[in-house]
Amino acid sequence: MTLLELKGITKKYSQADQYAVNDVSFEVEKGEILSLVGESGSGKTTLLRLIAGLEHPDAGYISLKGHKVVEGKKSVPANKRNVGMVFQDYALFPHLTLLENVMFGLKGKIPDPDKVAKETLSLVGLSENFKKYPHQLSGGQQQRVALARAIAPSPAILLMDEPFSNLDSVLKDQVREEIRQIIKKTGVTAIFVTHDTRDALSTADRIAILHKGYLQQIDTPRNLYEYPVNGYVANFFGKRNEILAVSTDDGFYSSFGFLPDERSKLFSDQVRLSFRPENATVGKDETQPMSGKLVKSTYFGDHQLLKIMDEEGRYINIRSNAGHIYEKESVVFFTIDKFNVEDA
Amino acid sequence: MQLAKQNFYWWNYWMAGALLILLLIVTPLLTIFFKIFEPPGSSWAHLAETLLFGYFKNTVLILLGVAFSTFLLGVSTAWLVTNYSFPGRKYFEWLLILPLGFPGYIMAYTYVGLLDYTGPIQSFLRNSLDITITGSLLDIMNLPGAIFILSITLFPYVFLLARASFLQQSKTLQEASALLGKGNWHTFFKVALPMARPAIVGGIALASMEVLNDYGTVKYFGVQTFTTGIFRAWFSMGDAATAIYLAAILMIIVFIILYLESLQRGNRRFSQGSGTSKPLVRLTLTGTAKWAVSLFCGLLFLISFFVPFLQIVQWAMLTYAKVVDNNFILLVVRSFGLAAGTGVIVALFSVVLLYSLRLSPFKWLKNITKISTLGYAIPGAVIAVGIMIPLLGFDHWYMDRFTGRNVGLILSGTLMALVFAYLVRFMAVGYNPIDAGFQKIGIHVNEASRLLGRGTCKTLWRVDLPMIKTSVFSGILLVFVDVLKELPLTLILRPFNYQTLATKAFDMATNEMIAESANASLIIILTGIIPIIFLNRLIRRKVF
Repeated sequence: MTLLELKGITKKYSQADQYAVNDVSFEVEKGEILSLVGESGSGKTTLLRLIAGLEHPDAGYISLKGHKVVEGKKSVPANKRNVGMVFQDYALFPHLTLLENVMFGLKGKIPDPDKVAKETLSLVGLSENFKKYPHQLSGGQQQRVALARAIAPSPAILLMDEPFSNLDSVLKDQVREEIRQIIKKTGVTAIFVTHDTRDALSTADRIAILHKGYLQQIDTPRNLYEYPVNGYVANFFGKRNEILAVSTDDGFYSSFGFLPDERSKLFSDQVRLSFRPENATVGKDETQPMSGKLVKSTYFGDHQLLKIMDEEGRYINIRSNAGHIYEKESVVFFTIDKFNVEDA
Repeated sequence: MQLAKQNFYWWNYWMAGALLILLLIVTPLLTIFFKIFEPPGSSWAHLAETLLFGYFKNTVLILLGVAFSTFLLGVSTAWLVTNYSFPGRKYFEWLLILPLGFPGYIMAYTYVGLLDYTGPIQSFLRNSLDITITGSLLDIMNLPGAIFILSITLFPYVFLLARASFLQQSKTLQEASALLGKGNWHTFFKVALPMARPAIVGGIALASMEVLNDYGTVKYFGVQTFTTGIFRAWFSMGDAATAIYLAAILMIIVFIILYLESLQRGNRRFSQGSGTSKPLVRLTLTGTAKWAVSLFCGLLFLISFFVPFLQIVQWAMLTYAKVVDNNFILLVVRSFGLAAGTGVIVALFSVVLLYSLRLSPFKWLKNITKISTLGYAIPGAVIAVGIMIPLLGFDHWYMDRFTGRNVGLILSGTLMALVFAYLVRFMAVGYNPIDAGFQKIGIHVNEASRLLGRGTCKTLWRVDLPMIKTSVFSGILLVFVDVLKELPLTLILRPFNYQTLATKAFDMATNEMIAESANASLIIILTGIIPIIFLNRLIRRKVF
């Protein structure tokens, strides 16, 4: 069931010369976790604020649960939308205790706000110290309170702005999984904004990629990673190599060597092969179809990245296991396991 | 989920309230503006020939003199107090702000009394050293005297802002300069001073506004300036049109100062990331330097506060039995009530204006709202003229329209007119701290509350206001003190025979009852000191 629908949403801030969001349309299914991903200035946070009702779009409409909440000059104000939001800075009320913060959206709406608030707090893993004030909590705990406060009134949709950005990388993996579990347990539909592709890939059911206000692609993490619709999306998930090649009957011939592949029959003449560094495998000897000269190897602990050059001075990056020590300027033999082909 | 009916997204009652308040506050300013285009009054031609140049010359000379000396006094003391350690440093940090509690007019007649034949200095010389001087020890009832008085009461503006700026400058910048082989003097002139320039110029601009607003000092000293000229045209000659012409010229001077101030700020960024600054390590002074610096600060404090303050205390002790009676107590209660009431109204209006800004998607509203704070730059005499004209107009229209008889004045000459004038003049005083409070808590808490289903009123009441209550309180307090010591507006607009502490003190002093006036003066000064100490705490805690 479609829970949220955006159609032709466009927004330009009065001082800005570019559109913050330009003709964006997509739908979100009930119970889904969608991630909005983009660089800073891509319009992802603006999109979130438009859904929440904190900004008003110049064009387009948004409907939530089948009701239009904004269209033209009219809108349902933020306090009537039943949307939950976790702000990047958490925005906890400093003058209220942890429990009062969570009860804030419940009072006067349900018969037993105190009980629901306590249940929600224990759901996010905070089952004591209800009387503490936000500044007495650690950053991670503050985030849990913010999450509890947002989900306690059972919002139609939960919005999170950069939920993982204030956490250090060790905590991050753990928190990502926890938050995903909590969201799935409550069954709430969620949209979260992030600039970190790892957050998006590991947490979201689907990912929407924004660039300069335009929606580039919206799909499952796997499909986005493996079948990017354009170069921007492909590059967004890490380095990608491109090699120019000529197609022959049984493979592609490039400056790094001959790569046998059946798809070559579908192409004639010049093609562009693209692949990620981890899609190539380094081999021990000359039985590998391709080769190049090692320019530089960069050590990352669990792997190393080899920069390899062909005779005309073009580079590619391929990933290799960390154990092997390569001599500089030596010849590296490799094969490409998985790659995309397109007409050049 | 129940969807409420759809509304126009930008409209709310806050917006309507804000526009109404803005309209109210802008009225006197617009009045002056439009009246300039009407023909001049009967005495204008004569005045332009005879007095105008004198007004202009005196006003500009006082402005320049005060600007120069507040710069010297304010910046030097601010630099010493922030960067060096010397005996008494910790105390001078706030002692040097105290002169702000001294209204210029009180300082003026206190000094006249101090240097007088019967004053303590001459008495001491006569009785102990047997030196007799004929007349005043030092005649300060002239233009240099006015510059002196205004400088020692106003230099704390420069001191305060320069000190705040020096405190914010990260020590690392100064260390970088030192490591590049530059000495202390070089660092001061090439790094610290240019970086503090916006703050220093801002302080001088504030002092200049106070100079232009001053009526008591120049009137008492018999120096004719635009302010005294406006009074003369309005009261002595009953020529409103001429008063407006003078007010308009004064406004032009104000706008030139404001323009120069904004010009020098330009687009340059002088602030640095707040996270980088290390706590200041002050250089410990030794030997002669240590005592010279202490002496300098101490002498300045004696002259600008302690000696005149002692004199007032002494006078008050001599005369309180005669002066303090039921009427005087009533006067105190009335003045406090008036000041507190105005403070609360200013805070209320500021909250409505700022909250509607907070909710509004329109950025232009922010620029318009700033107009409401212009009053602080506009001399009291000008505001008074700008308020009297529309109020008198309303009263006359009302009389003609509804009664056809003379029913007396409804608005003009009432307490309402006076409060209205205070509101226009002191809006900025309450608005700025409340604005700072809102800025500091950020918009997200407000948005979070609204997303949790609370309307704008409830959000203001339950979230925003509890979080900014210190700012609101300081806004009220600052307005309270300013109203309490305000003189020119009150003199022009007060209801017939209505006295406040300030007008009472000034009336007594001008009627050769300086010692008797000290009782009212003392109350004004003491209440003025409370927010100064309070403000200083806030600056130390870097609230502003």
